Amino acid sequence: MKKTLRINQTAIELDLEPDTPLLWVLRDEAGLTGTKFGCGIAQCGACTVHLDGKPVRSCSLPFEAVPENAEIRTIEGLGQSRLHPVQQAWLEEQVPQCGYCQSGQLMAAAALLQDNPQPTDSQIDQAMSNICRCGTYPRIRKAIRRAAELQTQEA
Amino acid sequence: MSLTRRAFLHSSLLVTGGLLLGCTSNSPRILSSPKEAANELGLWLRIGSDNRIGFVVPSVEMGQGVTTSMPTILAEELDVEPGQIDIVLASVHKAYRQQGMFTQGTGGSTSIVKWWEPLSKTGAAARSMLVQAAADRWQVPPNECQTQAGQVLHVDSERKLSYGELAEAASKLQVPEDPPRKDPSKYRLVGQPLKRLDGLAKVTGQAQFGIDVKVPGMLYATVRQSPVFEGEILRYDESSALAVKGVVKVVEILNGVAVVAEKFWQAKKGADALRIEFSGGKSQGLDDQQLEQQLTEALDNLGKTEISGEQTLDVEYFLPYLAHATMEPMNCTADVRADRCEVWVPTQFPEVVRDKAAEITGLEPEQVTVHTTYLGGGFGRRGWDFAIQAVQASKAVGRPVKLIWTREEDTQHDFYRPAYKSRLQVQLGEDGFPSSWNHQLAGPSAISEFAWQLVDTRAVGSVLKWIDWDVTSTEGTQLPYTIPEHEMDYEVVEPGIRVGFWRSVGNSHNAFTVESVLDEAANLAGRDPLEYRLALLNDQPRHRTVLERAAKEAGWGAELPEGHARGIALHESFKSIVAQVVEVSVDAGTVRVHKVHCAIDCGRYVNPNIIRQQLEGAVVFGLSAALYEQISLKDGAVANSNFHDYRVARLSESPEVFVSIIENDEAPGGVGEPGVPPIAPALCNAIYAATGKRIRRLPVATQLI
Repeated sequence: MKKTLRINQTAIELDLEPDTPLLWVLRDEAGLTGTKFGCGIAQCGACTVHLDGKPVRSCSLPFEAVPENAEIRTIEGLGQSRLHPVQQAWLEEQVPQCGYCQSGQLMAAAALLQDNPQPTDSQIDQAMSNICRCGTYPRIRKAIRRAAELQTQEA
Repeated sequence: MSLTRRAFLHSSLLVTGGLLLGCTSNSPRILSSPKEAANELGLWLRIGSDNRIGFVVPSVEMGQGVTTSMPTILAEELDVEPGQIDIVLASVHKAYRQQGMFTQGTGGSTSIVKWWEPLSKTGAAARSMLVQAAADRWQVPPNECQTQAGQVLHVDSERKLSYGELAEAASKLQVPEDPPRKDPSKYRLVGQPLKRLDGLAKVTGQAQFGIDVKVPGMLYATVRQSPVFEGEILRYDESSALAVKGVVKVVEILNGVAVVAEKFWQAKKGADALRIEFSGGKSQGLDDQQLEQQLTEALDNLGKTEISGEQTLDVEYFLPYLAHATMEPMNCTADVRADRCEVWVPTQFPEVVRDKAAEITGLEPEQVTVHTTYLGGGFGRRGWDFAIQAVQASKAVGRPVKLIWTREEDTQHDFYRPAYKSRLQVQLGEDGFPSSWNHQLAGPSAISEFAWQLVDTRAVGSVLKWIDWDVTSTEGTQLPYTIPEHEMDYEVVEPGIRVGFWRSVGNSHNAFTVESVLDEAANLAGRDPLEYRLALLNDQPRHRTVLERAAKEAGWGAELPEGHARGIALHESFKSIVAQVVEVSVDAGTVRVHKVHCAIDCGRYVNPNIIRQQLEGAVVFGLSAALYEQISLKDGAVANSNFHDYRVARLSESPEVFVSIIENDEAPGGVGEPGVPPIAPALCNAIYAATGKRIRRLPVATQLI
């Protein structure tokens, strides 16, 4: 099926099998490999991107179900002119180890802070269900608190 | 291989002008072709006339921070900022083998331990040559020159030259055999919590992992492998797969078939559509019960000692098979041509990949180029089975192929941490301390698979002896404590499940057993677990210091909130000592881990930021396994398939982790793995303190509390 998607504010015309998950559209068609494949069943969150500002697990969202005029944002579009507060905070707190899951973690965290600029610890626990096998969770918690501060300062 | 062999430094002139410097155990090499880059030459350092400094990192980066810590060592001696260095990930060359290693590889928490000295020497030699070149130019004695941020300075005459301006002249000088080193008290970089050099790439999605590799004209593949280990293909009907749009070919490969298609999603759909049956296999029919029966029988074969009396322990411990579950599923990209082969692969063992690729293609190893990428987690999993498959698939279709496993294939075809059962019989003396300690262990040999797979490679000679010398299953059974009689016996069991190395290897299971049993002994003697351990460590000052530090930081003995309790454990592995104190509460059978305090003695160290990262990560990784993880077997196959039924820890289940690093001048120890072993026993000792229930089987989640 043919469809035009808006990815990181750029329109891309695509002709794909309708069941192709958005993840593989991003990676293999748009060449945006920052979004990662982890599980394929919406369990791990490595593939998290924003669809109209909301976090979605792109491995389980078929091409046919992506609304034509929706704004898709990936890690490559998160801090295009300068780093997003979550990216700054991730660097300040030195979160990444292997780094593989971090695009998804950052997208989940950015969506959380957009929705809820001052999340409590239990709100962070609830929103951040992405898996990290390096065990960066303690630093992710700190970085989200720090990003909330940075975001407030910028506002 | 002699351990006393000398490292030679050698240098070469870059054709564009500049200095190339390497340090190998072999004779000095001469730059044979101006087209060759440092990487192919087995060199480490390139200083271009353009002032760019290139450094080949000989270990792979899988999260443990080598692309920061290793350039830091070099930069310290060379007197440049780590950020001035362009990182190159090493391809295969014998210069990038660690001293004493049979193949080029990254594992065993050895990167800093083994590479610190050669890297420091390389940096110092280059600096010394650059200084000499400047002194020659200025006609001043070298000792009047200083270096700073990539420049040589002559303070008296206020002259300075950049390393780039000096590189060509420096490259023509004799390489000093024993260059002067910086006094450690003058270190500006080593020992500081420097930020990671790969941080920016990893928060912007720019870091290139194996799965991100793109080669012109490449196809995609995914695999279907025999659910029973080493099962054979019985039959398959490829027409159903070929009927899927985009599917190009179904190829028989190691352990099964690869479905090759224009796009990954088409390959995946093709594999789903493929009707394939396997038969036989060495784990045929095996389930969890049979496995445990085999382990129990093996323990019985060792013979049980009669032990009786009130002051005795006679207990059995069990740990299950575990998956690595790296976040990046196994993958490899291969491009096989008539006269060459290129492989892009996230692996801990690039040299074995090269040799296997040469075998499959019939090419000489020199015709195979292996490009290592960032690894999306390693933990001991990333060998070469998936690389063999990619090379086979590319060879069969005559085009480059990126082969990616699904999570299901990854979960069901791991090289698992083996399951083990132990029997511990401990007699306490009149003083309440163990007078005899008898440990019987039964389970697979963790190294067997690895060793046998290397038998047909060039590493054969040094590997064969490993089969009879399996420290990988028994390491960690030795105790630092003073115990008059200590016996250890090990019976190898071969249930047919593929096994391998899992972060901290033998220590990962043995530490759980011995540190839990020591806690049992303390309880039996009616002593405080910390005080009991300290009393047994009179001859081990470093262990004592670590234990005391963790206890102090955790406030051992201080009051806790209602329902909370602490547990402690201590373990030495990979030349480092780690103690951990875990604070838990248990509510209606659910364990909540609140805080973990770690202390580590890893001797002299490079980057405390990375050490803290590794310790925090090891705590979460180890807790995840102890609380939830278990590979279950059914009909000879792994019953788990993905993260919904192979549960791992998530952020909401992660404790606060505090890390304290002991300062001393001891030889450097490992950092990536030593944080894992003590966490399971510290956790279960805390659960005992909270509930009176002793956990002798993992994972905790399967145990009623």
